[in-house]
Amino acid sequence: MTDKLEAERPLSPHLQIYRPMLTMLMSIAHRITGASLAVGFALLTWWLVAVSMGPEAYASVQSFFGSLIGRALLFAFTWALIHHMLGGIRHLIWDTGTGLDKVTIERFALGTIVGSVVLTILVWLAAYNVMGGL
Amino acid sequence: MVQFTLPKNSKIKKGKEWNPPAVDADPDRWREYRVYRYDPEGGENPRVDTYWVDMNDCGPMVLDALIWIKNKIDPTLTFRRSCREGVCGSCSMNIDGTNTLACTMHAEEAQGAAIAIYPLPHMPVVKDLVPDMTQFYAQHREIEPWLKTDSPTPQKEWRQSHEDREKLDGLYECILCACCSTACPSYWWNGDRYLGPAVLLQANRWVEDSRDERTGERLDDLEDPFRLYRCHTILNCTKACPKGLNPAAAIANLKRKMVERL
Repeated sequence: MTDKLEAERPLSPHLQIYRPMLTMLMSIAHRITGASLAVGFALLTWWLVAVSMGPEAYASVQSFFGSLIGRALLFAFTWALIHHMLGGIRHLIWDTGTGLDKVTIERFALGTIVGSVVLTILVWLAAYNVMGGL
Repeated sequence: MVQFTLPKNSKIKKGKEWNPPAVDADPDRWREYRVYRYDPEGGENPRVDTYWVDMNDCGPMVLDALIWIKNKIDPTLTFRRSCREGVCGSCSMNIDGTNTLACTMHAEEAQGAAIAIYPLPHMPVVKDLVPDMTQFYAQHREIEPWLKTDSPTPQKEWRQSHEDREKLDGLYECILCACCSTACPSYWWNGDRYLGPAVLLQANRWVEDSRDERTGERLDDLEDPFRLYRCHTILNCTKACPKGLNPAAAIANLKRKMVERL
């Protein structure tokens, strides 16, 4: 009887009921950006392959990356890369045993969000500056 | 393994409204509580029942409200409680979306209009708000939470300097309520192999104890991709701890000890 009861015990709710917190969301974001980098680097590989295949392939890839969708993808890739990098730095700091108090972890979370957006925009402004206009 | 949804027998059904106050009742006087219920004898799925607590007649803490409901409305409501002052760790549960102790949480602190109460997350439920803690306690036993020495036992006490004693501050206060471990997604998905924040904080407490002489052995036992390294610094543990301790920092310290001894 006891065994049967134990086997039938329901599992208490978890994700369904836990209040989302910024720190927790940053951890999930770190994973998602990390995984999406694999997709981003596939784009980079595609570009490199096209470069080696000659002017026609290169031109078609360039026109895709130049399109609105292409640029949006690259912008998202840049943001994911920077977000993941800042997250990585955060983890390096934590690995030294510092920055784990309740106040600092919130600052790190906010800093990663703001920093990733600002740096992404700066990178794109710099890129447009170098490449010359839109 | 990661399973984001609840198993079929655990899906929550709509429950009963026990004592809805009169339409013209003072809304500030009646506080709404939505409480997880599970009856092991009925063969039915868990449900969420709604109660209204008369705040003119009830103490300020969430535990007061649960006791009020049990005394005045529904004697079948089941939960663990003992000290009612945050020392015993019995009344840990998920209140208003966060794991904490019912006895030290003011009902006024809740963000939700209705206060939702569930058992500690991702645990087998014995009844209502009572989870089965067997595995949690077994994991605590596994780290051998006692002083281990090879030197002959001294005539009087094991001596410790004030500085060494201070290293145990923030560790010895843990009451093993399991709020941190059951707030941790890594523990949700891999609780069978990952020790979880509460047990790792205890492990760190014995690693840091200057009187213990088996530090190396303790670290050996933790050197494992799951037991220790499933911690991904999600930090739900530190945010949940009702005693204000920092399991994440304790785990970071263990990871550092691992590297330092290489």
